[in-house]
Amino acid sequence: MIRARNVHKYYQTSFGANHVLSGISFELRKGEKLGILGRNGAGKSTLMRLVSGAEMPSSGTIERSMSVSWPLAFGGAFQPMLTGRDNVRFISRIYAQDFDRNLAFVEEFAELGPYLHEPVRTYSSGMRARLAFAISMITEFDCFLIDEVGAVGDARFHERCNYELFVRRADRAMIIISHDAAYLRDHCTRFAVLHDARLRQMADFDEAYGEFRRLVGLQPDRQVAARVPIDRTRLIEAAQTRALRDERFTMLVQDGDLHRDARRWAEAEAAYGAALALYPYQRSYWVQHAHAAKEQGRLAVAEVSYRSAGALGEPLPDVREHLDFVVARQGDDPAQWPLREYVPGSAAAQTPALSDVRLLALLVWGTDEVEAAEARDLLRRHDSCDALLAAMIGDPRFAGAQGEWIAAQRQDAPPPAAPPAPSPPVAADPPPPGWADALACIACPATEGRNPEAVAQAISSTGQAWTQLIAAGGFATWPLSRAALERRIAA
Amino acid sequence: MERPYQAQTLRHSWEIQLRVVGALLIRETLTRYGRHNIGFLWLFAEPMLFTLGVTALWTATKTVHGSDLPIVAFALTGYSSVLLWRNMPGRCIGALWQNLALLYHRNIKVLDIYLARILLEFGGATMSFAVLGTVLVGLQMLDPPQDVTKVVAGWLLLAWFGGALAIALGALSHRSELVEKLWHPAAYLLFPLSGAAFMVSALPPFAQELVLYIPTVHGVEMVRDGWFGDRAQAIYDLGYLIPFNLVLTLYGLLQTRRVAAIVVPE
Repeated sequence: MIRARNVHKYYQTSFGANHVLSGISFELRKGEKLGILGRNGAGKSTLMRLVSGAEMPSSGTIERSMSVSWPLAFGGAFQPMLTGRDNVRFISRIYAQDFDRNLAFVEEFAELGPYLHEPVRTYSSGMRARLAFAISMITEFDCFLIDEVGAVGDARFHERCNYELFVRRADRAMIIISHDAAYLRDHCTRFAVLHDARLRQMADFDEAYGEFRRLVGLQPDRQVAARVPIDRTRLIEAAQTRALRDERFTMLVQDGDLHRDARRWAEAEAAYGAALALYPYQRSYWVQHAHAAKEQGRLAVAEVSYRSAGALGEPLPDVREHLDFVVARQGDDPAQWPLREYVPGSAAAQTPALSDVRLLALLVWGTDEVEAAEARDLLRRHDSCDALLAAMIGDPRFAGAQGEWIAAQRQDAPPPAAPPAPSPPVAADPPPPGWADALACIACPATEGRNPEAVAQAISSTGQAWTQLIAAGGFATWPLSRAALERRIAA
Repeated sequence: MERPYQAQTLRHSWEIQLRVVGALLIRETLTRYGRHNIGFLWLFAEPMLFTLGVTALWTATKTVHGSDLPIVAFALTGYSSVLLWRNMPGRCIGALWQNLALLYHRNIKVLDIYLARILLEFGGATMSFAVLGTVLVGLQMLDPPQDVTKVVAGWLLLAWFGGALAIALGALSHRSELVEKLWHPAAYLLFPLSGAAFMVSALPPFAQELVLYIPTVHGVEMVRDGWFGDRAQAIYDLGYLIPFNLVLTLYGLLQTRRVAAIVVPE
């Protein structure tokens, strides 16, 4: 049994005492598996170190009447100058175990081959992870501490780890922390949420997960810095990493994964859709979104999302087969509407995604509501963002939304002496997050000598995206769109 | 307080500690010397080279040391002693920062990390001293020691001082970088005062009184007393050195305990 009683932990920092854990109490009996959910920086790893005994609590007690492992898959204790074999020998000595038996196990499990006799510093990170896990398994403990074990290794290695832990050692106690809620759900019998330095035990997974979701939804992740990317290429790049560091995004896609695994396709599509609304230029989850739509027979939606995935740089072989399938199912010829891939270079020449359709629709039509069938046709017909914008300018909705601007251009004179005070946007819906930044870096990239940071600032402070962008010389290198505008004004 | 699962009896704890320090010692040796060329022989080859070099220098410059002792014997006993007490703190300062990750293994305590390094340094310096002494005696460049027991006792007292100092400074260095910064000049300046380069009896009385506050002086004098007997006219006081070592050890252990309570593994 492990019994934590009123455990506190604070660290002295230059800005005062940082209270990481406050009054933590829990008990863990033999065979129980406790899963702990918590945001980044909630103190999960600190709690693990205290339970493992590597670190002392500031006050309170932790009693152990069973042997407790070190936090698993942890590779930091390797001496990099020593060989994998030497490290196995060291651990065997520390825990008074049979070295030859351990070495045989590590040889078989970690699959390092001759590298076992090379210094650990020559290992790849995957090899280190395999060695770390294998070494963790040579020592038998009553209780295993598992810290984000899902983060390392390939799928096959992962499976073997799960087998070693949850099948062969099914009778042991465990404490598991992970960002992967499904992993906790599948392997734990008890659940708790760590937040604001306090640990709250929950009746079941659903309750714990609901609480965790509520906490994550409360405030955006502070770690996600928001700087305006310099152009569309960088916008796409930044979206990949920023999205995965934003817990709101990771939680929503995790939600989507849970629904997908349960074949609840409508819920899955909604969850992936909500995640992509936060980061429309994150490419990987467009495919998942498309799969969920496809399973419900929503073929136009699926097609748009597959095309978006390809346009944002998802490898085509992963997408093409699915796209061809949904195009054919709609009675069209896949050869006529092939998948277009991501092209590097300036935004005007890049393949558009649904993200661009919505963004530009909001800009030139005053709404980002675009029917799936229309979005599908736009993405089918237009192979570049420039062509897409030109077509949207040619649409009657442009005249509707930007009538005043067109009129002002026709007078070929400065706007009326007393322009109507910029009416605050009447739209009930606030613009989607990051829209000003995205527009600014697409229309006025720093790579063309403009200042997207200032433009984004101007757009969000005035709410007048079109006039601000044009005034800042936006879309200067978009010939089709420029020509479409000329035609609009001349007509 | 903590009641670790395994440490139930004192004897059991002692066995674990021996095992852990032994494992750390081997790990440390392999890490420092590897398996290339002469491998762990460097452990004492390195201090031997130092001692031989200094002996050669002092012989060449005919350094005045204020006694009629042969310069080779003087340098061997003197410089070996310096290596003994000076390298231990050098290896323990900052040792914990380099080995934080080891603390995830609950049986490994902060003190074990220091003990392993101290033992390694002790082994190296002792082997160097013994091998050089034997060789020089064999070559008849040096008379054999008159009282081996006294040499050994003096040597062990010096090692005790070095070890206690190493634990204290090692623990302090985890809390303040100043320790590391100040140790290098301090060690350098202490070298001429440590008793390695003079005999106390050769100093004027007021200087004798001052240098006898330095604990290493007593240790070196005792080693020389054992080696040279009456010729050395050694002056030392175990009634000073032993209590000094005891207090320093206690202080070092207290500091280690303090650090162990606040240390944060990586």
